[in-house]
Amino acid sequence: MSNRRSRASVSEEEINELISRLQTLLPSARRRGGSQASTTKLLKETCSYIKSLHREVDDLSDRLSDLMATMDHNSPGAEIIRSLLR
Amino acid sequence: MAAKRTAPPPPPPTPNPIPNRRALASGAGSASPSKRMLAFHFLRALSRISSATPVACRTRTIRRAAYFSMARAASPRRSWSRALLRQVRVRRAVRSRRAVLMRRRVVSAAPAPPLGVRSISAGQITSAPLAGAPPPRQAGEPARADALRRLVPGGGEMEYCSLLEETADYVRCLRAQVQLMQGLVDLFSGQ
Repeated sequence: MSNRRSRASVSEEEINELISRLQTLLPSARRRGGSQASTTKLLKETCSYIKSLHREVDDLSDRLSDLMATMDHNSPGAEIIRSLLR
Repeated sequence: MAAKRTAPPPPPPTPNPIPNRRALASGAGSASPSKRMLAFHFLRALSRISSATPVACRTRTIRRAAYFSMARAASPRRSWSRALLRQVRVRRAVRSRRAVLMRRRVVSAAPAPPLGVRSISAGQITSAPLAGAPPPRQAGEPARADALRRLVPGGGEMEYCSLLEETADYVRCLRAQVQLMQGLVDLFSGQ
């Protein structure tokens, strides 16, 4: 029984540390000033943050495709890409 | 004793040939994949796109290239990058062969279920839940973690601890990818 408790408590600490690390990644971390938010709220914020990042990727890829359509092969943009890849 | 050189050595690649590249590569994370690797993979994929694909599905192709290059740039130790690459491979195989054959191979080899294939073709990159077994639930894991498992690729099978780690890494990489793409858009729209 003591075995189980020690194992559970160790992973509790790990979990709390991982969660605090996640908290520092979120954009709301700067506003909060170091207070400990509840786990559920943190997970919810993480979910919405990931979803918003996905949406940004979609939006940016949309804009990129429009820009690439208007870009012809001799424009400076293509030159930059080619020089970066050389 | 003049130094004998048959041909001049090729010029070493300058680290930052263009100031905008420096802006893209500034603030490179230590743990997350370097921004240079991200830029390299993504730009290479972009250059391959511009000549080949028709305009109609270009957005989808670019988005897929973004996730794919992100997974390539990340360390293969990360389970989410492996899951992403697995998804791409599954989708490619489905395109070229019949779905029945693929299902047979997928069920025997990789844990990616046919459900994952359908959700991919719907135009979204998510991790589909396992067809049969529910994800292992740890003690103290809140119910909210299920939604997180769906968002992070490959999250359906992980333990809670590794899920948190993978999420942190995934968020870092996603943010770097978004910054890279934003820099590219600014670069191109400023022509």
